[in-house]
Amino acid sequence: MGIQTLIWQVTKKAFTGGIIGLTISDRFCSVVPVRGDSMSPTFNPQRDSYLDDYVLVDKFCLKDYKFARGDVVVFSSPSHYKERYIKRIVGMPGEWISSTEDVIRVPEGHCWVEGDNKASSLDSRTFGPIPLGLIGGRVTRVVWPPQRLSKIGG
Amino acid sequence: MGIQNLLWQVTKKAFTGGIIGVTISDRCCSVVPVRGDSMSPTLNPQRNSYLDDYVLVEKFCLQDYKFVRGDVVVFSSPTHFKDKYIKRIVGLPGEWISSSRDVIRVPEGHCWVEGDNKASSLDSRTFGPIPLGLIRGRVTSVVWPPQRVSKIS
Repeated sequence: MGIQTLIWQVTKKAFTGGIIGLTISDRFCSVVPVRGDSMSPTFNPQRDSYLDDYVLVDKFCLKDYKFARGDVVVFSSPSHYKERYIKRIVGMPGEWISSTEDVIRVPEGHCWVEGDNKASSLDSRTFGPIPLGLIGGRVTRVVWPPQRLSKIGG
Repeated sequence: MGIQNLLWQVTKKAFTGGIIGVTISDRCCSVVPVRGDSMSPTLNPQRNSYLDDYVLVEKFCLQDYKFVRGDVVVFSSPTHFKDKYIKRIVGLPGEWISSSRDVIRVPEGHCWVEGDNKASSLDSRTFGPIPLGLIRGRVTSVVWPPQRVSKIS
């Protein structure tokens, strides 16, 4: 009888802890790895995937959708909805962006994103401006590896 | 000492219940009201806002993003990101949609949505195909008012 109660208590605590962790990850902040070098040298300055950066993604920004030019954001790809990209906002709604051939105006409710490493980045120059509704969070700092701990400025 | 302990227990249970409710609402299903008559007569067949339908929105579909033509979905507007719309998917990626003047192909990763009440619906005929990443859930049934409880096919 004592063992059963103990197991039940542990299960309850683990379940509650799991649910709380899920809610924090969905609504407050989470830690995600950065893949690829499209944001070099801000993230992943080396090509070795053992040294992938892990970044803290803040989700409070999704309440008011208050983004600014220069923010690094996580968003769902407009053409491959299961994939997530990390890029920097370089154009807010209503601003003009000079693309390869012409000058484009960013439509209302959208933003223009580009990677810091323009030679190796799949971004708005390919798939156009993205709706702000696709954004899943803002990157605030690098949390791993420890020697690269830093804040990401706007 | 007994009252303090009781208060602490009640607070813990309320907090846990609240967190579980938030998680269920985010990841499993939630109930939302339907505003406007763009989905008449499927949803909100009368114009009286006292009788707004409340529908059950399931979010399990967001794991695999498996949608089919005919699904009624909730999505964030591509132009006004704080607004949420409820419309029906009438075009999947790769399909051809005949718009007012020409024929459009739905791009990869997008879908074409339209309201059932075409005369009074702000949908893809205005803002074009929407990325599937904007979809927040699928409407499965009407849950209020009681005389209109039904499944949405």
